[in-house]
Amino acid sequence: MEEDEEIINSSPEKATAAAAAAAAATATTPSNHKPHITWSDSYSKAHLAIEALSAILPSLPPHLSSSETPATSLLHDSDVAAQISLLLRRPDSGGANDNLCAWLYDTFHSSEPDLQLVVLRFLPVLAGAYLTRAALNKPLAGFESVLLAIYGHETAARNGQAVTVSIPDLAHSSIYHETKQTAAKNGSTELHLAVISPTLEPHGTVRSTRRPRIVGVALELYYTKISRIPIGSKIEFCEFCKIWSGQFSDQTLNENNPPQHSDNPEKTTPSSSPVLRILGHCLMGEEKKKKNNNNNNDDELFQTAISACRCLNARALHDINPKAILATGSLVKLAEMAAAAADRTSPDYVDHTEIAMTNIISI
Amino acid sequence: MSEGESAEADQFENDPSVRQFVANGICMKTNEFEEKLDAGNIQEAESALRDGLSLNFEEARALLGKLEYQRGNLESALRVFDGIDLQAAVQRMQHSLGDKQPSKKGRSRSESLSAVSQHATNLVLEAIYLKAKSLQKLGKLPEAAQECRSVLDAVEKIFTDGIPDVLVENKLQETVSHAVELLPELWKQAGNYTEAMSAYRRALLSQWNLDNECCARVQKAFAVFLLYSGVEVGPPSLAVQIDGSYVPKNNLEEAILLLMILMRKFYLGKTKWDPSVLEHLTFSLSLCSQTSVLVKQIEEAIPGEIQRIERWKAMALSLSGAGQNSSALDLLRMSLHKHEEPNDVMSLLLAAKICSENVLLASEGVKYAQNAIANSNGPNSSHLKGVGLRMLGLCLGKQAKLSSSDFERSRLQSEALKSLDSALSLEPENSDLIFELGVHYAEHRNMDAALRYAKQYLDATGGSMIRGWRLLALVLSSQQRFLEAEVVTDAALDETSKWDQGSLLRMKAKLKISQSLHKDAIETYRYLLALVQAQRKSYGPLGVAPQVEDDNIDEYEVWHGLAKLYSILSHWKDAEVCLEKARTLKEYSAESLHTEGVMHEKQGRVSEALAAYINALLLEPKYVPCKILIGNVMCKMGPKMLPVARTLLSDALRIEPTNYMAWYHLGIVHKDDGRIADAVDCFQAASVLEESEPIESFSTIR
Repeated sequence: MEEDEEIINSSPEKATAAAAAAAAATATTPSNHKPHITWSDSYSKAHLAIEALSAILPSLPPHLSSSETPATSLLHDSDVAAQISLLLRRPDSGGANDNLCAWLYDTFHSSEPDLQLVVLRFLPVLAGAYLTRAALNKPLAGFESVLLAIYGHETAARNGQAVTVSIPDLAHSSIYHETKQTAAKNGSTELHLAVISPTLEPHGTVRSTRRPRIVGVALELYYTKISRIPIGSKIEFCEFCKIWSGQFSDQTLNENNPPQHSDNPEKTTPSSSPVLRILGHCLMGEEKKKKNNNNNNDDELFQTAISACRCLNARALHDINPKAILATGSLVKLAEMAAAAADRTSPDYVDHTEIAMTNIISI
Repeated sequence: MSEGESAEADQFENDPSVRQFVANGICMKTNEFEEKLDAGNIQEAESALRDGLSLNFEEARALLGKLEYQRGNLESALRVFDGIDLQAAVQRMQHSLGDKQPSKKGRSRSESLSAVSQHATNLVLEAIYLKAKSLQKLGKLPEAAQECRSVLDAVEKIFTDGIPDVLVENKLQETVSHAVELLPELWKQAGNYTEAMSAYRRALLSQWNLDNECCARVQKAFAVFLLYSGVEVGPPSLAVQIDGSYVPKNNLEEAILLLMILMRKFYLGKTKWDPSVLEHLTFSLSLCSQTSVLVKQIEEAIPGEIQRIERWKAMALSLSGAGQNSSALDLLRMSLHKHEEPNDVMSLLLAAKICSENVLLASEGVKYAQNAIANSNGPNSSHLKGVGLRMLGLCLGKQAKLSSSDFERSRLQSEALKSLDSALSLEPENSDLIFELGVHYAEHRNMDAALRYAKQYLDATGGSMIRGWRLLALVLSSQQRFLEAEVVTDAALDETSKWDQGSLLRMKAKLKISQSLHKDAIETYRYLLALVQAQRKSYGPLGVAPQVEDDNIDEYEVWHGLAKLYSILSHWKDAEVCLEKARTLKEYSAESLHTEGVMHEKQGRVSEALAAYINALLLEPKYVPCKILIGNVMCKMGPKMLPVARTLLSDALRIEPTNYMAWYHLGIVHKDDGRIADAVDCFQAASVLEESEPIESFSTIR
């Protein structure tokens, strides 16, 4: 336990050392605490993380320490989530001596996918708090160490390569063409190549001009894991988008007022492509379709996401940014269409997989 | 057979609200069976039905199950269906069909699939399908999916070559189509995305003889799944790939492909128009910045489905997003025509923005911006008033540059400033606006104000924008505070990763030259050259820049900068080599000719110099530096040429009123001509302007 305390109190600047210490602790501690568990490294790592967290949070739900799947329990525990979010949002958070940031950093470096997911789950709050405060010239080494850890992970995973998409051209035959002939093949038409995410270079520190990019890349990783991220985190993401849009709240848009900008002057915004993809998921991902399960959380996500989209659309109009106007405008329209289509009481609602209900039942 | 049945049923039927069984030409009301089923006597109901309608066991069960399903008694329906050994029935069917079929391929084989056996097949398959539907409604999704899949497995076993286009009974086809469409939905609802993905691909890549509408629905649902589920499904297996055909590598590519195919089906009239498809396509193509592809898609959409103004607006946005601003403006002019939507604020603002970037269009932009301001009083557009004012300011500022009279120019400039200021009072935190005000003041040499805004912008953006650092350094340089400018540039370099350092390094080199630290400047240029060359190589075969920002500098600029530097130092050989390199990268360039001319002139070859300057003007008639240099050469040719020199220099000043070199040389012309007072004025202007001359033009900052 003493060892753990040390790790937590170490500043993120010494984070690499802390990570090494954590690795050492992982190797030795199981024999001290849970001698019978040697079969699962990830299990013990998760327990270590929970123990370390208990020194930071005011109260930790007791069932976490006894959980069979500690990492998953940690990910989905709304009480823990609320406590951590609160700490991250505190005005003095994110500094070099922030224990929680050190914990997030170490936990991400545990290399356990389930534990990394726990860290990613807090990315929206962390990135939101970071970007709103970065311009105030306060040292935010704690936040930055976590963001750089995530950025570094994605850079390594991608080997620094850009993510590209070659836009299909129907002049080329494809697997989904109805006529399966290859004669129409036409070498003269080149496929458009689009760069979704440019090449990545390693960063040891956050240079201010790379700040939006580093947060953007972290969000790209968040998006690739999004189907496993709890809804609460996605709702926090949507809230963060509203702040990012310069707080054109729905209310502001509907009233005859000039826009209310937020107190902070920061206009640093992460790259828009991952933001839009995450929002698209929040609006039209599978959670939305399960709405008839009476899950209020899902509906809350949908409502928050559509409101975030409207804010971003207002912002895009404000910036006269054609691509952003198109993308956010389409999302808003699609969400409205989806809401109308999901209404089963509407006369237009058709379930195409339902059989014809007739009074004449024949073979 | 079924036709005969229903005809008879119609005769029998008096009250259509009465539910009844119909089979073998006999009708029976369902109430007595319902009672038996409600009491839990399934077998009793079954035998009564078998006797009454001369049915076999499976047929009776299938009918009863359907009845219960329709009545919403799903548990009971499942119990009824459970009585039939469906798998055994399918196996039996396979055997009976297999026996009848000759092993030859082709249509004849399908034809032999008699109506009777198809009928029996459907009976069983529909029962399994309804079982799946019942399980789905009961929330037992994985079980439902298993049942639904067994329908498709059975069909695949029976029709090994896929379902033929014709000769399949409607009801059977209907069941198959239903199952194909339901299966992926079930897996999705069950949260099993991997299975959902294979169900979609199976639906679309095997031959199920789906009708167009059904196929389109599945394609759209799959595209939506690919776009928004957040689960990367991986490319289709090699088995379905055909040589030379396009195989999508990831979700986004596959989704876009499907959406494009759907768009084509719309305009071929194969399926009913669905507006959401275009929205999904718009979203996905703007996401990857391929709005030029989107333009084609919108263009091809069938007329009538999209309102024409909506189409023009969407196309204008797409074109502008793809950098084709002049085509975008053409469309906006159409949509802003007085008979269309002349007061649409979005179109007005976009048009004004496009015009604000072009001196020749600036006056047109002023009108759009004024109109936008006038129309942004509504509840949904009041937040755009500041944007309108900002665009007005930018357009007026641009318009001032073209103005021929001093009076007109200063009027436009002060109006521009007024607009920008009113915009700022509406949006005090708008950092773009703060930046633009900084540039505006800097261009008009109000350096104190420019410095204030430059600092404010840097603070507001937390130093995240390179252009903020550059503006501050340039403003400092124009105040001749070179050391401070260098400190800012170095700080900016610290905050920038190496691929983005080009414009900062170029600035640094120029700062060194201004301080006569030529050796340092050469070093900086060498480093910059290495960087630019490494960058070009790292783009690789793709040829795409890693940064989206467009102020990356190219190799030509570096060689040309070096040539100028060596020319200052009179290192003619080195200068010549660098200029030659620059020329190989950009053959026709006024700047290169300018430098070449200067080199000739400095070495006393005046006529060669003059030829180079004139060539530069032939390439770029408004290239001010060469106008000045020609003026200077003319001035030295004696009194006869003084009027020519004067004309050239006045012309240069009309284009660039703040060019101190032009004022200086004009002063010399006046002096030589004996107009001392005029000369003094010119020299004074030159001196003042020189003291506020930035190391590079403010317009180089984007």
